[in-house]
Amino acid sequence: MSSTTVEPTPSGRGAHSASTPAATALSGRLAGPLSGDGTSTGPGPSFLRVLNSEFIKFRTLRSTLILLGSTIVVIVGIAALASWGIGQALQQSGADPRRAAAIAAQGDIAAAAPSAGISFAQLILGSLAVLIISSEFTTGMARSTFTAVPKRIPAFLAKLIVVVVSAFLVSALSLYLAGLVAVPIFGQYGHTLDVSSGHYIGTLFINSAYVAAVAAIGLALGALIRNSAGGIMSLVGIFFVLPIALQIIQGDFVKELRKFIPDNTLAPMTAADHLPDTLEAWQAALVLGAWVVIPVVLAAVLLKKRDV
Amino acid sequence: MIEAKGLTKVYGEKTAVAGVNFTVEAGQVTGFLGPNGAGKSTTMRMIMGLDRPTSGTVTVNGAPLVRHAAPMRDVGALLDAKAVHTGRSAYNHLLAMAATHSIPRKRVHEVIEMTGLAEVAKKKVGGFSLGMGQRLGIAAALLGDPQTVILDEPVNGLDPEGVVWVRNLVKYLASEGRTVFLSSHLMSEMALTADHLIVIGRGRIIADAPIRDIINGQGRIRTRVRTDQPDLLMRLLAGDGVSVELQDNELLEVSGLDPRQIARAALDSHTMIYELTPLQASLEEAYMELTKDEVEYHSLLTTGAAAPVQSGGN
Repeated sequence: MSSTTVEPTPSGRGAHSASTPAATALSGRLAGPLSGDGTSTGPGPSFLRVLNSEFIKFRTLRSTLILLGSTIVVIVGIAALASWGIGQALQQSGADPRRAAAIAAQGDIAAAAPSAGISFAQLILGSLAVLIISSEFTTGMARSTFTAVPKRIPAFLAKLIVVVVSAFLVSALSLYLAGLVAVPIFGQYGHTLDVSSGHYIGTLFINSAYVAAVAAIGLALGALIRNSAGGIMSLVGIFFVLPIALQIIQGDFVKELRKFIPDNTLAPMTAADHLPDTLEAWQAALVLGAWVVIPVVLAAVLLKKRDV
Repeated sequence: MIEAKGLTKVYGEKTAVAGVNFTVEAGQVTGFLGPNGAGKSTTMRMIMGLDRPTSGTVTVNGAPLVRHAAPMRDVGALLDAKAVHTGRSAYNHLLAMAATHSIPRKRVHEVIEMTGLAEVAKKKVGGFSLGMGQRLGIAAALLGDPQTVILDEPVNGLDPEGVVWVRNLVKYLASEGRTVFLSSHLMSEMALTADHLIVIGRGRIIADAPIRDIINGQGRIRTRVRTDQPDLLMRLLAGDGVSVELQDNELLEVSGLDPRQIARAALDSHTMIYELTPLQASLEEAYMELTKDEVEYHSLLTTGAAAPVQSGGN
């Protein structure tokens, strides 16, 4: 066995002669010179690199792909059902002038059909967002993530961007496909749906942005609660239980409060005209923004502070 | 080099690490030995910036990890076999980790080859055995070709071949001048791997010395002697480095002399002895001796501190 020069100082790298079986197997593989002070000069975790890493993580989980796929199926499927139902209603109302007038009073309900499944999309993509970060804590992956990026905040922001952008794009794609499916269904009932109008495109954009906002809230909840079931239940609580609970409770204060829950911010933003008992569109946008910013900032601050 | 100064971690009312000071030098394997719950993992998590010290500091090459420009290129750690998402393949896990530091794909393949994961690299980590999980953790630790390598209980769950592989790997890494910090709760493992040993118990450093010193200091030979004239024999055997303990009125326990010397002394003085039993403390016993007051959870059935090497011929 040839002896390896071993010096106790970091600068004194011994000759890489093989002294053990492992050394034989390893020599030449642990490539790369080590700098004298032990502080390497290679690339570190810049934000773009962390973003790339988070995107790799995002697309290499089958559960992510399944949830994204089901969002498309759910939005398109519900849009088809809604179009069929609305088409039938419109057809039947043709014979009844009073019902026709009632339907006409609701505005262009056909245009709303493609986005009929949006509340399911927000549940699926919101849960996906919770899972993206809570699963890192439940599996222990967080320890790997935050040792690679010990500053932590860049990893959290990268996750936020990946989640928000993918939620937006998948929603927009699903809604666009939903429109394409809805057009021929309405056509069968002699009704036209213009999926290229400025208002329709604008609504599609706002709906997608809303789902992206829900995903951001989901990510923040996942980071705060660090538990998949708890995070998803909190999301369901905010978006499904809270609206129903406030619907049941009566009173002026509750009636006012109802306008400010995130679930009720979408309608005023997409309505052509101001709806009764809702905020103005710009107010709704601000309220939703606050619902996003507050938990996200809180999650980031606590993520930086807490032990992983 | 890893340096801890007054490093303390308190969880609620429980002090996991109580103001420890130590230095882990480059170019040797430093073992971090302690019973379960002694504070080894907590200390390692603090080195890696995952747990914030309640007080004190710990630095790697002079700076806490959070201030390193390229952490994975400076320090690689296996902290927990399950620091991986169970739904992702080993290859994709390493690829995502590598992406944070622009570590090329080639290096990902290298560490997969090196750790013997090639066959399972495309499989989901959730189905991995503990040993494969350990190999993946080691692969991730080596990804950035770091100067400092921290391995928490790396041989846990490894098969015998894997255990030998880890031993050779850490020795090789140290021979390259890297800082290697390795934890275990098994003295026997440390005896085979480490050059220097830091022993921790209940969050405090009990010993910090070259492994040779620790073994020699604790693994002294003791001999049980039964005689009719214990007082006389005690006087005869007394000397530098010799301790004689009277156990009952005809039983002595002698350390610092080997049985041959005791028998010679008895023969010369015509003292009859009718038992002469060498009691050799193994490394494991030495370690237990060292940490007996520091372990947190005592088992109800404790065996004697030392068992006779062979049954005494009464």
